[in-house]
Amino acid sequence: MATLQLDNIIKDFGSTRVLKGIDLEVKDREFVVFVGPSGCGKSTLLRTIAGLESASSGDIKINGQRVNEIGPAERGLAMVFQSYALYPHMSVEDNMGFSLRLAKVPRAERREKIRAAARILQLEELLDRKPRALSGGQRQRVAIGRAIVRNPSIFLFDEPLSNLDAALRVQMRIELTRLHHELNATMIYVTHDQVEAMTMADKIVVLQGGSVEQIGSPMELYHHPRNRFVAGFIGSPKMNFLDVEVHGVGPTGVDLALPGGACRIPVVGDDINVGDTLTLGIRPEHLKLDDHGSLEGDIVLTERLGGVTSLYLDHLGKEWILVADGNIVHRVHERVRFSFDPSCAHLFKSNGQSLDRLQRHPLAGVECEGSRVNAI
Amino acid sequence: MTAPKRWLPFTVKTVLLVLLLLWTLVPIVWMVLSSFKPNSVITANTPRIFFTPTLEHYASLFSGGNSLWPYLMNSLSIAGVSTLIAVVLGCMAGFGLSRIRLKGKKHLAFWIISTRMAPIAAVIVPMYLLFRYLYLLDTYAGLIVAYLSFNLPFAIWLMTAFFDDLPPDLEEAAMIDGATKFQAFRYVVLPLMTPGLVTTAILCFIFAWNDYAFAQTFSGPSTQTIPIAAAQLLTQTGIDWGKLLAIGTVVVCPMAIAGLLVKRWMVQGLTLGAVK
Ligand SMILES: Nc1ncnc2c1ncn2[C@@H]1O[C@H](COP(=O)(O)OP(=O)(O)O)[C@@H](O)[C@H]1O
Ligand SMILES: [Mg+2]
Repeated sequence: MATLQLDNIIKDFGSTRVLKGIDLEVKDREFVVFVGPSGCGKSTLLRTIAGLESASSGDIKINGQRVNEIGPAERGLAMVFQSYALYPHMSVEDNMGFSLRLAKVPRAERREKIRAAARILQLEELLDRKPRALSGGQRQRVAIGRAIVRNPSIFLFDEPLSNLDAALRVQMRIELTRLHHELNATMIYVTHDQVEAMTMADKIVVLQGGSVEQIGSPMELYHHPRNRFVAGFIGSPKMNFLDVEVHGVGPTGVDLALPGGACRIPVVGDDINVGDTLTLGIRPEHLKLDDHGSLEGDIVLTERLGGVTSLYLDHLGKEWILVADGNIVHRVHERVRFSFDPSCAHLFKSNGQSLDRLQRHPLAGVECEGSRVNAI
Repeated sequence: MTAPKRWLPFTVKTVLLVLLLLWTLVPIVWMVLSSFKPNSVITANTPRIFFTPTLEHYASLFSGGNSLWPYLMNSLSIAGVSTLIAVVLGCMAGFGLSRIRLKGKKHLAFWIISTRMAPIAAVIVPMYLLFRYLYLLDTYAGLIVAYLSFNLPFAIWLMTAFFDDLPPDLEEAAMIDGATKFQAFRYVVLPLMTPGLVTTAILCFIFAWNDYAFAQTFSGPSTQTIPIAAAQLLTQTGIDWGKLLAIGTVVVCPMAIAGLLVKRWMVQGLTLGAVK
């Protein structure tokens, strides 16, 4: 049983404000991912939760109890560092057992717990080795093992996979998700990689410049981004944007005049007036090649992945990406027409706020289910 | 690359290295060799490489009325204690200085090392007067303080650099594992600092061991160190070359060993695969 609550956390380094009032609630057994561009304060927030940095103001509560004044040792958390931070002079076994040794756990019990964690992570043959004799992936496992042995109330991970190669990263991603379900633990995971966030999280916290941009389930962020930043950050390839003028506003949506014809986007246009300029956002996978489509552009580049092909288009001077079927025959310099389903499109005001959709997506709000993991 | 092109620089490099080695080693080797020669051979007009070695100079050094033993003990204890204090304090101060977040930290660190740069000649007279008022002349404590005043800033500065090289992640990981700040220092930081501590200790010891100026000015009959003993041989009637060469060998030996040790430890990496 472990919950975490942050109330208006502010962190200043000297005169620079790095965290600008963070509110967050983490439920028991939730897998929460902090995601955002590099330098946005993810690590600082995680370190503040761990007690390695003290908050300049605001409350940190673990299981409802304020822990601001409690040191990292007593918070009962475990943290996996980006650098792994294994003790170089200790064997794998001693690395994993260090917290138990400090807690004066008897040797026999210590061994047992280390063995149990080593079994989960397939580290049994490596227990006598020093960290320098391990590969990157093995060090990563030891760092996770060290956290498991401690049996923490909350696991903290700071970009734990960023030093691994792509294949290992995918494998560890799956393994961490599995571990989350096996241990039934609350986990907070920091990454700058939105794919990691989307695939692992129950709940994603999107950060930018020290503030929370949006909190929600992966599908909520994908289908209902609250602003242009979240819309552009979540999803790969990135969402396409185009400035458009409003031609009409009604109860069934906002009418736009696009170069190849008019269209109605089903969003709430309460404070929108005819003549306003909005930004239209459409994800590359929601565009489709269509000889009667209302948009057209020149193909600048094609990226063939086999199953799908990404077309980079010059659309009214902007680079747009369209994800099409893998078998299309179009080539560079060809001019193509394309269209989109208005119910998949997004509209943003000039301040970046998105207009609410008239209908919620059926998957938005659904959290990452256990069934998906069990199937692996 | 073709062979002839590489051949020339290689030869030049070798020749230069051999010259440098000769330049450095010949006097020392000659001193050590000669300390085992009988007096007649030392003063012979034609230098001789082959001779029957004798220990007579060493025997006369360590026996009789003016034995070298007290000087040796003085040197060892004064250099040893001042080194120990410098390393212990330098280690703690260096850790603090490396980890603290402080505006103008660079200036503070530079100020500390700048005190090491003061020329001995400039401070020796004021220190002499101070020591006289404090009754520190001709005491171990006096010389220890004198050496500390130069070695401590150096030790702090050097240890700070060593600690800077050790990622703070390790202590932080230890603290999250439940360690107090002191336990993190004791069980994680200190074991990884052995190369730094040994290097610092040896360099501090060398300074105290080699010093002549402070010892000449502040020591008295009961606290004189080996360099003073060596100098005294020059001022007596004539120069006893055999004894002088033997003392020289005694002084150089620990330094040669220390030099090799420093090299071994300095070459060794600090983090040993802790990170990445
Ligand atoms: N100890 C520190 N002193 C001053 N500024 C810091 C310190 N740590 C981090 N920062 C600043 O805080 C901002 C956020 O850093 P960080 O939390 O590491 O970002 P992220 O993990 O999201 O990449 C950065 O601009 C960084 O320069
Ligand atoms: Mg970071």
